[in-house]
Amino acid sequence: MTQLNATKWVNDYSDMLYRYALPRVNDTEAAKDLVQETFLAAWRNYENFKGEISEKNWLFTILKNKIIDHFRKASTRLTESLPTVADDESYFDNSDHWTITSAPKNWNTDTDTTINRKEFYEVLYKCKGKLNEIQNMVFTMKYLDGLESEDICKELNITASNYWVLIHRAKLQLRACLEKNWFNL
Amino acid sequence: MISCKQATDYISRREESKLTFRQRWQLWQHLAVCTFCRLFNKQNKIFIKNVSHLHEHTDAALTSEQKESLIAALESS
Repeated sequence: MTQLNATKWVNDYSDMLYRYALPRVNDTEAAKDLVQETFLAAWRNYENFKGEISEKNWLFTILKNKIIDHFRKASTRLTESLPTVADDESYFDNSDHWTITSAPKNWNTDTDTTINRKEFYEVLYKCKGKLNEIQNMVFTMKYLDGLESEDICKELNITASNYWVLIHRAKLQLRACLEKNWFNL
Repeated sequence: MISCKQATDYISRREESKLTFRQRWQLWQHLAVCTFCRLFNKQNKIFIKNVSHLHEHTDAALTSEQKESLIAALESS
């Protein structure tokens, strides 16, 4: 492997990989580390690269595995404090109906046509970043990577009831954050 | 009648076809009368659809210093 290749690899692929990792881990430092680990793994195992897929797709495959590993490691650290029942942060009242302040409001943006896409995605990224770490992992695996709940539970070693509580809370929080910061401006 | 808390949870479970026939019927009944949960249902669809495209809508990039150190890490490995 020549010096030219290292420079070319980084110039060609690092931003692409970084942009993929960042909205998943919601942490610039962790995203950067994942990109570095991906390059290093690819570099060391280059003889295993058969050219059956493009170099780019090969790097993405490695990155996706690194992200799952990252989540798996984080989950062993986080699962001790998992809720099995929802801790209610006032979304619902005593009879489990929406409280007045939390009830969804009409979003005054015509979402298909008038969303200023780039700014909307910035708000969405920030709101996602406000989820706690385990909620964010579960939400990412489900809605950014399209995994099924059973597989997510297996990867993160959590129960189905943990999973549904986490997803429920994540969505309530994300929806409220979007409403506050985007749709009712 | 199921509660709003249950209905919003059922909406996620329905995405994976995890509801029994009875639960599907209960959710349907609830949504028929509850404006708030209908809004939740609609808004949920919007953000779960868009969130998977986050990486396509960002200008985030590594700094040139970060790239230099990546190159250095590769060359010294």
